Amino acid sequence: MELPSFVLDRDFSAPPERVFQAWTDPALFARWYGPGAQTTILNQDIRTGGSCQIEMRWGGRAQYQHLDYHDVTAPTRLVFVVVTCDANWTPAAPPHAPDWPTHLLTDISFAATAHGTQLHLTWTPHAANAAQIAMFRGAMATLGRGWGAGFDLLDAILAERVT
Amino acid sequence: MELIRYAPQPNLDAVFSALADPTRRAILRRLSQGEAAVAELAQPFAMSQPAVSKHLAILERAGLIERRIDRQRRPARLSARPMLHAVQWLTEFRLFWQDSFDALDDLLAELQDPDNKDKT
Repeated sequence: MELPSFVLDRDFSAPPERVFQAWTDPALFARWYGPGAQTTILNQDIRTGGSCQIEMRWGGRAQYQHLDYHDVTAPTRLVFVVVTCDANWTPAAPPHAPDWPTHLLTDISFAATAHGTQLHLTWTPHAANAAQIAMFRGAMATLGRGWGAGFDLLDAILAERVT
Repeated sequence: MELIRYAPQPNLDAVFSALADPTRRAILRRLSQGEAAVAELAQPFAMSQPAVSKHLAILERAGLIERRIDRQRRPARLSARPMLHAVQWLTEFRLFWQDSFDALDDLLAELQDPDNKDKT
């Protein structure tokens, strides 16, 4: 069976060279990655075959990611595996979701448009076991539309039960 | 409501694994319109009742449905809490990218036009 993917498209009003640079220049990357977080990029080696480590802090909370770069081709393509880690940089799923895939293959393409750049991002479990793939598939199906998706269903339940 | 108050802390692994199957999602969708017994649920799916019962058992283990003791019928109904946790988790997941990309938008605007960085 095909692996489940998270797919995201987003348009930016800057040329692909600029958008690509915002992902690969550590000083710029740290300024936007991790919403509202104090983001630090460690061991900055952003090139094909390289890696870096990302520490994100929100108040008392922290999140750690290790990135392994498979393809860094300016300004069109960026492929890396993002590994969710604990504070010791050991791969670890969130405690309340132990089957969440720790390794996600991130594949990003940057295409020039009349207004700037279209970014296309996919997130697919990498070297995952069956339980991790099933968990990710269910999460993506819930996120998706077309079946009276999770969010709509929740509205119906809440209207009926939690008043 | 008691059923909600006493529901165990939902396990997101079980919830999302249960939601990975299209038949089970269709069953939940049907149940969002009100409780139903196995026979009623089996009808639209061209499935045997034992096959539907298996799906119901997986949904029940994940906490997504509750089943009432009503002689043979054991009607199933949706349970809100695990779905609420699942949706909260997904919202956080989606906001990570959405908010990061909003910040990237601002950064790109600033790089384009460095004199205007105080503008919001």
